[in-house]
Parts: sequence; structure tokens; C-alpha cells
Amino acid sequence: MEIRELQGDGTTILQLCGRLDGTTSPGVDDRLSAMSAKTAVLVLDLAELSYVSSAGLRVLLKAAKQAQAAKQRLLLAGLQPVVKQIFDISGFTSIFTLFPSRDDALNSVR
Amino acid sequence: MLTFAEELLLLGHDENGSNFHDLPDMLFDAALAGAVLMDLAIRNRIDTDLERLVILDATPTGEELLDHAFAILARHPEIAATADALDLLRKEGSVIEDKAIARLLERGILRREASRILWVFETRRYPLIDGKELQDVKRRIAGLLFSDTIPDPRDIVIIGLAQACGLLERVFTPHELEHCRARIEQIARFDLIGQATGAMLQELSAALTTMFVHYG
Repeated sequence: MEIRELQGDGTTILQLCGRLDGTTSPGVDDRLSAMSAKTAVLVLDLAELSYVSSAGLRVLLKAAKQAQAAKQRLLLAGLQPVVKQIFDISGFTSIFTLFPSRDDALNSVR
Repeated sequence: MLTFAEELLLLGHDENGSNFHDLPDMLFDAALAGAVLMDLAIRNRIDTDLERLVILDATPTGEELLDHAFAILARHPEIAATADALDLLRKEGSVIEDKAIARLLERGILRREASRILWVFETRRYPLIDGKELQDVKRRIAGLLFSDTIPDPRDIVIIGLAQACGLLERVFTPHELEHCRARIEQIARFDLIGQATGAMLQELSAALTTMFVHYG
């Protein structure tokens, strides 16, 4: 799992690349926890995320909960079909605001 | 922190202190199997997706009831799917239940009372000592069902299990349940092991119904 970070005006983009599973989720959890109070808008670019397991879903859920508590906007962008399918089945689409691409997510907050 | 099996037993605990659920044992055993898998997942010992279950870390958790089940799982490397793991562990349901009751006694949450009916039949009751832990679980569940707060993973698990076992009927009135039905269903979907457990309970329930219809 590679995490790339881009900073904008009050907005942070985190690009998650690879697999979000039980092995990689602790590192992503640490990174997302550190972000919750640091930026008003956090965009998770998942265009290069190829897999998410139960452990990965828990990390994303925790991030959503932290964002809600910190009144941060957490936007998810570019989900691949295999990841979107997991979101649909687990009902995570009801928690997150999803956008087709990172640019769409950024345009929504401008 | 209580294990999910202990929380499930507390939620189903009746005022008389002698009964932990109204389900046929076959169904409650499956729910306990799901509770154990969810605890192992939350403690990062296993991970799952829609098809597979993998062991991430074979280190014991220190909770006897979880480590008992984990050891059984580890002895069956051919188990690759969550449904198969549930099927394997539900056969241990009564052992898991006994260990969960023993842990609740050890923690000082329940106490054991033995008595005899007609001086012959021995019965056991497990009254709550002060009921604080049960109230804590109920408060957590109510706090989520009657709000839009995003639940944390532990709360999702207990709501999913309680829903699958029909134990929410012991916590809320029919009117309250009707009011938050959509929210219960939304939260119960969030956990993939919870979904697999719910599906297994439905299958077993349908099989039991068929058996009753055919054989009386």
C-alpha cells in the first residue's frame, strides 16, 4: 500500500494505492487519524485502490466517524468497480459522499 | 472489555436469571460463532472479504473463549470462507457459551445460584449482580439507533448480532423497534461477518421450519 499526499487550500488529498486489508489497514488508520483535525476537507482518492477487505472497511468507517466528530468533510473519489461493489453490499454508500473522480470531488467543495 | 459472546448473553439475559435467549440452540450456536469471528476480526487476528477468511496473526488474544475457537480454526487450514468458519465454530456453540458464562462470573457481572426442584432436579440461575454492564450495552445500542451518529465497529457488531438473534425485542418495545427498523437494517449491513452470520441464521431457521412442517 502506497499513500500519496497532496495539499491544497484547506483541502488534503490522500491517494491510497494498492490493497486495503488487514495487513495494510493499521498504517492507513494511523495516517487517517492524524488527518482528522488537520484539514477542513479530506479527499480520499481511491482510483488506484484495487481491493478492500473487512479490516479496510473498518478503517474507512473509523475515518468517517472521526470526520463527523471533527466536522470535517470526507469525500471519496474514483472507486474501482470491485471496491464499489463491496461498498454497495456493505451499505457503505449510505455513509460516504462518493464522486467519480478526484476532480469531481474537488469541484464540489469550490 | 467484554467479548461479543458475553455481550450477546447479557442482552438475552432474562429477569429470572435462568435463560439467555429464546432461540433454538442451533441458531444461538451460530450467533455465538459469528460473535467469536467478529471479535477475532476486531482484534486483527483474522480478515475477511465477500469470499475468503484469512488468519493474519496466530498470537493468542488472552481471552480463553476466543483462543479456544481460534485454535480450532487454526487446526483447519482448509477453511477458506467465512460461512465455512461459522459452520465449523457453531458446533462449539455450547462450549463457547459455557466459557462466556464463566468469564461473566469471573468478571463479577453474574453470580451462580444452584437449587433443586422437588429435591431432585438441579437447576442453575445466573442473576446479574448489579446490571451495570447490561445497561451500558443497551445505552450504546439505543444511542446509535435513535441518532444519525456513525457507529464504531464494535457497535455495528453487537447490533448486527442482536438483530440476527431477535434479541433487540428484549431491549426495545415493538413501537420503538418499528421506529428504527430502517436504521437497524442499515447498521447490520456494515459488517461482512455480520452479514454472513445473519445469512446462516436465516438458512438454519428455514431448515428448522421445514423440519417442523414435515415431521411435526
